[in-house]
Amino acid sequence: MQLTGTHKFNASANEIWSKLMDTETLARITPGVSRLEEIGQGQYRAVAEVKMGPVSGAFSGNLNVLEKQEPRSFILNIRQNSKIGNVAADVKIELKPVSGQETELYFDGKASLSGLLARTGQRVMSGVASTLSKQFFKALEEELGSHEGQNA
Amino acid sequence: MTNYIGKAVKRVEDKRFITGKGRYTDDIVLPGMAYAYIVRSPYAHAKILKVDTSAAEAMDGVVKVYTGKDIAESGINGVPCGWQVNFKNGDTMKEPPHPLLVADKARYMGDAVAVVIAETREIARDAGDMIEVEYEELPAVANPKKATEAGAPLVHDDAPNNLCFDWELGNPKAEVDEAMSKAHHVTTLDIVNQRLVPNAVEPRSAIGHYEEASDKYTLYTTSQNPHLTRLLMCAFTLGIPEHKVRVVAPDVGGGFGSKIFHYTEEALMIWCSERLRRPVKWTADRSEAFMTDAHGRDHVTKAEMGFDQDGKIVGLRVKTYANIGAYISTFAPCVPTWLHGTLLQGLYTTPKIHVDVTAVFTHTVMVDAYRGAGRPEATYLLERLIDTAALEMKMDPAELRLKNFIPPFDGVKQPGYQTQVALQYDSGNYEGVLRRALEMVGYEKFRKEQAEARKQGKLLGIGFSTYIEACGIAPSAVVGALGARAGLYEVGQVRVQPTGKVSVYTGSHSHGQGHETTFAQVVADRLGIAMEDVEIIHGDSESVAFGMGTYGSRSIAVGGSAIMKSLDKIIEKGARIAAHKLEASEKDLEFAEGKWTVKGTDKSVGFGDVALTAYVPHNYPEGLEPGMDFSSFYDPANFTYPFGAHIAVVEVDKDTGKVTLKRFIAVDDVGNVINPMIVDGQIHGGLAQGIGQALFEGAVYDENAQLINGSYMDYTMPRADDLPSFELDRQVTPCPHNPLGVKGAGEAGTIGSTPAVVNAVMDALSPFGVKNLEMPLTPERVWRAMNS
Repeated sequence: MQLTGTHKFNASANEIWSKLMDTETLARITPGVSRLEEIGQGQYRAVAEVKMGPVSGAFSGNLNVLEKQEPRSFILNIRQNSKIGNVAADVKIELKPVSGQETELYFDGKASLSGLLARTGQRVMSGVASTLSKQFFKALEEELGSHEGQNA
Repeated sequence: MTNYIGKAVKRVEDKRFITGKGRYTDDIVLPGMAYAYIVRSPYAHAKILKVDTSAAEAMDGVVKVYTGKDIAESGINGVPCGWQVNFKNGDTMKEPPHPLLVADKARYMGDAVAVVIAETREIARDAGDMIEVEYEELPAVANPKKATEAGAPLVHDDAPNNLCFDWELGNPKAEVDEAMSKAHHVTTLDIVNQRLVPNAVEPRSAIGHYEEASDKYTLYTTSQNPHLTRLLMCAFTLGIPEHKVRVVAPDVGGGFGSKIFHYTEEALMIWCSERLRRPVKWTADRSEAFMTDAHGRDHVTKAEMGFDQDGKIVGLRVKTYANIGAYISTFAPCVPTWLHGTLLQGLYTTPKIHVDVTAVFTHTVMVDAYRGAGRPEATYLLERLIDTAALEMKMDPAELRLKNFIPPFDGVKQPGYQTQVALQYDSGNYEGVLRRALEMVGYEKFRKEQAEARKQGKLLGIGFSTYIEACGIAPSAVVGALGARAGLYEVGQVRVQPTGKVSVYTGSHSHGQGHETTFAQVVADRLGIAMEDVEIIHGDSESVAFGMGTYGSRSIAVGGSAIMKSLDKIIEKGARIAAHKLEASEKDLEFAEGKWTVKGTDKSVGFGDVALTAYVPHNYPEGLEPGMDFSSFYDPANFTYPFGAHIAVVEVDKDTGKVTLKRFIAVDDVGNVINPMIVDGQIHGGLAQGIGQALFEGAVYDENAQLINGSYMDYTMPRADDLPSFELDRQVTPCPHNPLGVKGAGEAGTIGSTPAVVNAVMDALSPFGVKNLEMPLTPERVWRAMNS
């Protein structure tokens, strides 16, 4: 499953970058995440509760931040397991200054699902991913103190 | 003379089914019963690094957890395959073990890793969620053709290129190549006969019950053939003595083939019960059914048909990649071979045929027989080729068929028809069914309407399918020579009770077919008694002596014939008793309407009197044994060959691509008919399933071999409002080699209908130059084809 989207923030790339790299902030703004702990350089252990269409589950696993090019881009490598199946994704996140204080965030990646999640959740997954990303960006805007961002 | 045969007698079993009083496996609750939940791999291909059961075992109400390691340590290899097909070079097919629980590696999404047994179903399930399995995910492959390519991940290390076997049939390849190279026109189609999920309304279930006191095992299971399951489980899977095992398949809510096979869960429940000394029940949920019931079809085929200048077929060349799945299911090897390759003669006089089949392991659930089994795949490619060829050669598809049909033969005065692909057809009149179907549809009028409609921008289409199937499976010696590891006869026992009531024990198994009605019609007619006085008993190895079960449209042709043999013995013995009572010679008696009469007199004795005398033999023929109870094995002389002509009329919505099935005409010849209402019902259900394949159904695996439409949210089944009111008619060409002259009707609808629908859509789309589309013909596919 393809994961792509963009979001424009009224903040500089550096500001956004520092929020994204802060464990406490991330734990607060990521939808469904109940626990996020740093277990090494760019490595996190995450516990999350997510509902996807007809199925919901408690996920746990690792998030790894790879290929960091501060403050331009990184790759988020996600490995989350649950009783209803597992998610594996690699998403490239890019921050591009637009003008003055505006920065555009692009994400592009691919997720693969297994188990019950694949059997029954696949069709609604892209909708769920889009909702979750919107929630995430909205929360991130609030953290940045700006409310004028836009999804595209 | 006959009071019941040929009449639309209402189904006697329906009273309990429609009042909710059927007794299915999951309805059975035994004292002290525990419940099993099976932990299954979420990955299509993964190494199992570690299974931690400690948290589950610590839970209240959990009785025991077993893993693949426990199974391996008990020395059990797994479930066997019931049919052997060899490689072209003579090597035995690859037959890797299919363990009850896997210890080292999961090979499809749903492979069983551990089983939890608990006091309740809910505790078992919750405990299952507490089992931590550490997997190392490996690359997987789902497509059978891709699985044979270099570098494809291997399902089994000892099956190079994922080959299970390769196989060929027909005329020598060189002869067929020559015929094709000399052909005036060759039509070529790349065909995917997509994978289907069987979707029986009742999910699979099994109860294992070991009783220490008697040292006996009972398996209750959702099976189409309980005796075969017992044989395979005892002799091969578990190595337990057959006479200590009872297998009961009570009411079963549909099978469509998926309940023929001996599944791992059946043996697993017996194995658990023996260890725990308690009955253990497992019942699949719908999601598990999607994931673990053996699927059907899944062929990737290239088919070529050659014609001469006049449109006569000169050759047929077929190359098929058949998906076997991760392990070999019970009858998997015979489906793409002896039930597929052998049907490629179709109804045509094709002089040269060659079929080549590569059977391939993939990281998917097993593929095995599904309503029609091999024959729909053969019919689909033949009938698609004929309609496509007609389009390409600018000929009429009906005319092209009539030009190539095998002429009528009754199998009595004229011999059976020897095909190029091993089979000998029993009797047929192929032109008859097509001409009747053309008349019903009003063909000439339709073509005019179609031309008119096109001018107004409406897309109407008509599609044909003239099919043949090999049913009444099967002569034991023949199937033995073809690799079957079982005989395919049937057993029928008729026990006349002292009061003249009759109990009939059949090895056939009814799971929707209505045997309790049709078989009773046959018995009551033959004995001249009321149907109410006949009870049909099936599905229990303890009461029925033996049996091979129900599949391949074999019940009335083989099971019914076995009962007929026993009825003959009853009447023969009855005549001896009647002659004694009437003080006449047996030669002077005739048996009709339930009594023996001295010819030309009014002296007679009734069936009830004779039955009572057999059990109270005070005044009795000398040397004759008391009692009236006969059992017979019937082994058919040949397959039976039902055939028919189906015509679909469709309209395609130009804007949305949605296909509406406007009319469906089916003229089927299934030989003699015992109960026309039940035959019509079989045809209706079959048509719905075949149309389902054409327009709606199809299991989809993604690039990681994950089944991504494993629920009714995404897997589309045909519904009543998708279907028109079917227009049916029948032709009767009796089977010349069985006593009832019957051919079988269970699969006809499924086999014939699919290509008729697709051909009709292609006809509707012909102004767009669209010649071939993959099934199912969803609005999106059709729209894209019109707009590309």
